[in-house]
Amino acid sequence: MRKLMIGVLSVLAVSMMTMPAYAQGGAAAPATNWVALASGFGMAIAAGLAGLGQGRVGAAACEGMARNPGARPAVLLALILGLAFIESLVLFTLVIIFVKVA
Amino acid sequence: MPHQLWITALLNKYFAGVANAILSALHLHSSHPQAPIPNYVAMQIVVFLLLVLVFVLVRTRLSVENPGPLQHVFEGIYGMVDQQGHDIIGDGHARFTNYLSTLGIFILTCNLIGLIPGFEAPTAIPSVPLGCAVVTWIYYHANGIRVNGPGYIKHFLGPMWWLAPLMFPIELASHLARILSLTVRLYANMFAGDMVTLVFLSLFPIGIPVIFMLLHVGVSFIQTYIFVLLATVYIGEAVAHEH
Repeated sequence: MRKLMIGVLSVLAVSMMTMPAYAQGGAAAPATNWVALASGFGMAIAAGLAGLGQGRVGAAACEGMARNPGARPAVLLALILGLAFIESLVLFTLVIIFVKVA
Repeated sequence: MPHQLWITALLNKYFAGVANAILSALHLHSSHPQAPIPNYVAMQIVVFLLLVLVFVLVRTRLSVENPGPLQHVFEGIYGMVDQQGHDIIGDGHARFTNYLSTLGIFILTCNLIGLIPGFEAPTAIPSVPLGCAVVTWIYYHANGIRVNGPGYIKHFLGPMWWLAPLMFPIELASHLARILSLTVRLYANMFAGDMVTLVFLSLFPIGIPVIFMLLHVGVSFIQTYIFVLLATVYIGEAVAHEH
């Protein structure tokens, strides 16, 4: 409970540091670049989920090779193929970002 | 005038007329008539000449009793692709080894030439991996038709005859998606490698970008292997004899 309160109060304290932003006053607020924002989030989500997926592929390959060292070439082939396929999905996201972000 | 590498400038100086003539014969016009040959075409010409030189060199030094190191390297490459063909395609795989090993050597050289200062990887431009992917696609379909004849269409119709109207559009879309995925996988890996090196170059000009260039070497090898492996798998599926 105490740690939770310390956490909440530190978040509030840090958010106090944004106060100077309101001092701009009369200047026209710059238009938010939604495309850049969305691409940042999109890329992060794609990379994160790909990391999870590739982690599972890697773990399964390790376990397979540990249980049956004789199957090493076949498991290695499946490992490389699996990693490359998942990686290519992330790269599709990157390509869309480069096409859309001016 | 676009930014030209020194090789592109050299080629444009002597061959701009020829290139413009070829383009206008196809009713195309370059946006920069003084420099019709773009960087990636010049780089591909360099890779082509380099590879022809190396292959001629290997051919002149082939020997049964006394193989040199170059022969060992190329026997190794041929052996790897042949072994993969045997594992994945099975019967009659030997006739595909030529195309697959040439494809692999070409893509690897294109990827690696980007590391040399004054050169850029042609595979970092979308057209070049697209060319490789389209040629591979036509190659495996042509071989499928050669081996299976008109019965090749059965590959697209699924396991039961009444599923055919559903399966055919799905299979068609999936085969077309293979061109997209082969292209984008190779292009995006090379392009992203360049981008990441540039980003870190702007942040820490000394030392750190070298790590990303080493990563680029690793990625080049892996992406070449994946391209050739997938080409082998697609050929294997296409030439599989229906029971």
